[in-house]
Amino acid sequence: MTETKLEFPYSRTLGPVVGAFLAGLREGKLYGIRGADGRVLTPPLEYDPETGESLGTDMVPVGPGGTVVAWTWVEHPAPKHPLSRPFSFALVKPDGADTPMVAPVDAGSIEKMSTGMKVRPRFKPEPHGLITDLEAWEPV
Amino acid sequence: MSNQKCAIIGVGQTNFKKRRDDVSMAGLLREAIDRALADAELTLKDIDAVVIGKAPDAFEGVVTPEIYLADAVGATNKPLLRVHTAGSVGGSTCIVGAHHVIAGIHDTVLAVSWEKQSEGNAQWGLAGGRSGGIGAGGAFAPWMRAYIHQSGAPEYIGWMVAVKDRRNAAKNPYAHLKMPDITLEQVKESPMLWDPIRFQESCPSSDGACAVILTNEDGARRSSKPAAWFHGLSVKSELSNFPGRNPVKPQAGVECAHDVYRQAGINDPRSEIDMAELYVPFSWYEPMWLEGHDIAGPGEGWKMVDTGETDLGGTFPVNPSGGVLSTNAIGASGMVRFAEAALQVRGLAGEHQVPDVRTALAQAYGGAANYFAMGVLRTTPPE
Repeated sequence: MTETKLEFPYSRTLGPVVGAFLAGLREGKLYGIRGADGRVLTPPLEYDPETGESLGTDMVPVGPGGTVVAWTWVEHPAPKHPLSRPFSFALVKPDGADTPMVAPVDAGSIEKMSTGMKVRPRFKPEPHGLITDLEAWEPV
Repeated sequence: MSNQKCAIIGVGQTNFKKRRDDVSMAGLLREAIDRALADAELTLKDIDAVVIGKAPDAFEGVVTPEIYLADAVGATNKPLLRVHTAGSVGGSTCIVGAHHVIAGIHDTVLAVSWEKQSEGNAQWGLAGGRSGGIGAGGAFAPWMRAYIHQSGAPEYIGWMVAVKDRRNAAKNPYAHLKMPDITLEQVKESPMLWDPIRFQESCPSSDGACAVILTNEDGARRSSKPAAWFHGLSVKSELSNFPGRNPVKPQAGVECAHDVYRQAGINDPRSEIDMAELYVPFSWYEPMWLEGHDIAGPGEGWKMVDTGETDLGGTFPVNPSGGVLSTNAIGASGMVRFAEAALQVRGLAGEHQVPDVRTALAQAYGGAANYFAMGVLRTTPPE
């Protein structure tokens, strides 16, 4: 048997928009950005998905609360799942945003899940500036 | 299917640097695109299709980046095509874009290519994800040594190319390495990396992007600035390694050159071409391509360097932009050759402009010198 060690010497520069979003997560804040049609897009995009125009760097604070607009239930989480107990993968629209973002909802049981339910974010106590700093949404 | 004439009417380059950590990958592309659109006096709405190209994804670790770049390159609800031909990709991306115009499929095409090398390690990427690869310099060094042996060129020829290109780059606002005062002595005394290539005879690793706007006669008429017209364009390839291959003068490079000369009606490239942008990542590749594309006869390429013929003020200037030797964002580098040749033809090259360029040659090579992309650009459309 031969063992080979693979290295991944990559780094990322995220730019002014995605960088600001992830920096916000580190501080427990959620940001969107205003699209060309006036909608608040969350997570924010650097360029408008329809017109391609630059959306600038004016971040729009959203949340902290949100609404579940669609969801599915994971009864038996696998080791790579974000939570180790049964949870929901949901599309959550933060207050003030016009688009939902995908995230885990830690509701404890499927009976507590419903479309339209209000949730609030739970951030990791030791953030890293990654999307997983938003550990899960919880029922209000 | 109509056969349209095709011109470059807009050129955009980022400022090339070791590390562009002020922008995302998308933002890097967009900087070049916005400058090309401004040059062409167009907006993203005027673009019918987008062709993008970069070197292997392992260089940055962003796999199939075309998937997430549609918005940034203005390709929403438009054709978005990705090209890959290793280091020559910038040249072949430009040619694929031009083919769409020539074929009459699209009127105006944006072609953009880039590399953000600071996000990864190209030498590691070339080694297939293992440490200890020899890198491009290590692969090309024996062929450069073979050229020196065959041609009898003196060692200082490589130093002369390095001095010329770095000094030229000092006149190019977008170039990465600008060394207006570099001397032969400094090149000679720099550390040996891969014999015969010394540190100062090797390209840097750059972040940057290049974009060109390609259009037909109707499109060119709408621009207030001069256009650079394609009179020949060709992509040729061969196997990277096979018994009997001549890696010093690959046959695909010979075929590619003769294809564009034939299309452009060029019988004597040395006298009929006014300047050339050739892909020279290591100093010795300047005389090697002068011979490899039959601009100079066997053993004569290095003499063109020696006599100053390839200087900015010479009779056959090569790489007035400073070339790949001064700026190498790998995926972009091939397209920069076409973009810079277009700027020369349009008379818009600024401080590194060669006087009265009517015919310019652009060339990119890649892989193990087994991919070639070449173009001939002129001030007037073909007959």
